[in-house]
Amino acid sequence: MSDSAKLSHTAAMILQTVDNGYSYGFDIMDATGLPSGTVYPALRRMQTEGLISSQWESGEKALAEQRPARKYYRVTRSGTQVLEQSQRRYPLLEKLAAEKPRR
Amino acid sequence: MPAGSKPFSVVFCNMIIYAASRLVPAPQRQDWKQEWLAEVWHRWQFLFHARGWNSREALRLIRNCLGAFPDAAWHFASQEAAQGRMRERVRSPWICLAALAVALLLVGAASSGLPATRALLFPRSDRSGRLLFIWLHPFVGGGDKGLPPDVVTEWARHSRLLKSVAPFTIGHARLFAPHAGISNPLVITTEPVLFDVLQVRPALGTLPPVSGIVLDHRAWVSLFRADPNIIGSQVALGRNWYRVAAILPAGRQFLSRQPSVFVVQRQICDPRVMVVARAKPSATQAPLERELTKIAENFSYYFFNSNLRLGFLETESLTPLRFFGVAVLISIGILLMVCRCRFRNVQLALKPENRKAASRRVFFFLMKTILALAFVFMAGLEWSRPESSVCLPRKIPQAALFSCGCISSAQWACSSGLWRISGRVAGSACASCASPFASAAPDASSSIGPEPSSPAPKGMASCMCRISPQVGMRNPSIGSL
Repeated sequence: MSDSAKLSHTAAMILQTVDNGYSYGFDIMDATGLPSGTVYPALRRMQTEGLISSQWESGEKALAEQRPARKYYRVTRSGTQVLEQSQRRYPLLEKLAAEKPRR
Repeated sequence: MPAGSKPFSVVFCNMIIYAASRLVPAPQRQDWKQEWLAEVWHRWQFLFHARGWNSREALRLIRNCLGAFPDAAWHFASQEAAQGRMRERVRSPWICLAALAVALLLVGAASSGLPATRALLFPRSDRSGRLLFIWLHPFVGGGDKGLPPDVVTEWARHSRLLKSVAPFTIGHARLFAPHAGISNPLVITTEPVLFDVLQVRPALGTLPPVSGIVLDHRAWVSLFRADPNIIGSQVALGRNWYRVAAILPAGRQFLSRQPSVFVVQRQICDPRVMVVARAKPSATQAPLERELTKIAENFSYYFFNSNLRLGFLETESLTPLRFFGVAVLISIGILLMVCRCRFRNVQLALKPENRKAASRRVFFFLMKTILALAFVFMAGLEWSRPESSVCLPRKIPQAALFSCGCISSAQWACSSGLWRISGRVAGSACASCASPFASAAPDASSSIGPEPSSPAPKGMASCMCRISPQVGMRNPSIGSL
C-alpha cells in the first residue's frame, strides 16, 4: 500500500471504527451509522488494499457455544499508518468515530 | 443459549443472502455467505436475549441485509473477467443503441410524444407551407419592430404575389368568465381575415364577421373545461366584454402551444402590428420583397427599402436545426484546439495494417455520436419549447441554455470519442507502455479516495493509454469506441 494513499472520509471513518475495537460488520454499521451497502464494500476494498485483515474466530469455541463463527476485522500495520495520515487530514475523525465501550 | 425457531424476518434475510450470493464468485461464495448469515444470526440472538427483538428491529435487519447485494456486486465487479465483460458490453454498439432508444422513449413519454420534433420534421405543408411572417427591421433604431397597420390593408388590396394577409398583435390579458373564473391566457388581437390566411375553420360555432372571441382548442379545454355552452356567452377580456363566437379544432396552434384567445376586431387600432400572410405557390422572397416595398411606397408613403424582413414558415422551422449545427461545428473547432489531437496518431491510424480497424472504429464512433447528438437535439428541443411554437420561441433564456447544453454535449461526445480513436489506434506504438498491448491499469487506490493516489510518471502524461486508462489494449474490439 502506498504511503501516499488517501482515504475518503467515509472509508477513514470505517477504518477508525475498526481501530477503535469494532470488529464485526454489523457492529461497524451501528457504530458509524452507515448502511451495510457502504460498510461491507468499503471493508472489502480496504482488505484488498491491505489496510485491514479479516480472520474467522475459532470454530471450536463457536461450536461449543452453539452459534455460527463470525469473521472479525483488524487494522494492519499499513492500515495504522494510513489511519494516522487520515487523522491529520480529517482532524475530527477521532471524535466522530465511536469508541468501543470497555467491558 | 440460542433461541428456538427462527422468525420469518430472519428466514427472509437468509433468503436475501442466498439470492445475493449468486453474484459472488464461486471460490469466495461459501465464505461470504457464512459471514453474512453469522452476522444476521448474532444480531437476532443479541436482540432476542436483550428483549429488544420487535417488528421494528426485524425491519431494520431486513434493510441491513439488502446491503448484501451491493457487497456481492462488489465481489462480482472485482473479477477481472467480469470487468472485461462489462467493459465490452458498455462499449457495444448494440448496448449504446438500446440506451439511446430507451432515452428517446423516455423523452417521448415525458413530452407527450415529441410534439416539437414532430412539428419540425413533419410540417403541415398542405396548409401552412407558404405561410409568411413579415416584420420591420429598420437600419436606424435597430431591433425587430411591427409594421403600421395601414400598409397591411394596401398589401392585401394590391399585391399579386400574396393570396391573403392579416395583421395581429400578441400579449397577455386577464380573462374573466362567470363560470370559469379568472385566467391570464395569451391573447392574439387580429382581424377576421387571419383565419383565411391560416386556412382554418372552426370546430364549433362560426367565425365572427365583426367582433368577438375565438378560442383555440387548448384554451377551450383548459379554461372552460370543454363546455360547449360557452358559445354565445360573454367573457371579459381586460375591461371589455366580448361574445365567444367559435372554437378552433384541436391540433391547430398559432404562434404558441399555450392556450390562446383570438380577439377578432374589424380593424386593429394598434400603431404597430405583426403580419402573417399566405403567398402564392410561385412567389419567392426577392420578388415579394420588391413588390411589398413598392406598394408601401406608392400607396402608403412608407419607404421600407431593405428594411422589410420576410420569413417563410417552412424555412423558419429549421432555425433550431441551424443553431444546433453551428453549435456542433463550434464544438468541433474548440475540440481540435484543446484536445491535443496528435497527427502522429492519425498517421498511424491511416497505415495499411491499421486502416481497416480504424475505419470500423471511426464508423461506429460517428454513428454513436450522430445518434447521441440527435438525442441531445430532440431532448433540448422538447425541453426548451414546451409552450412555444417551432417558429417563434418565446423563452429566450431557455433557448440560450439549450444552445449551451448542445455545445457542451457535442464537445463531450467528440472529445471522448477522438481521444479514444487516437488512443486505441496508436496504442501499439505508445512509447510509454512496455508492451504493444499494455495499458495503464486503473489505479486501485483511487477507488477509495477522492483524489488520484499517484501522479503520472514523467512522460506518461502524453500517453493516450494513461489519459484514458479504461481504454485498455488487452482486448481490442470493434465496439470499443
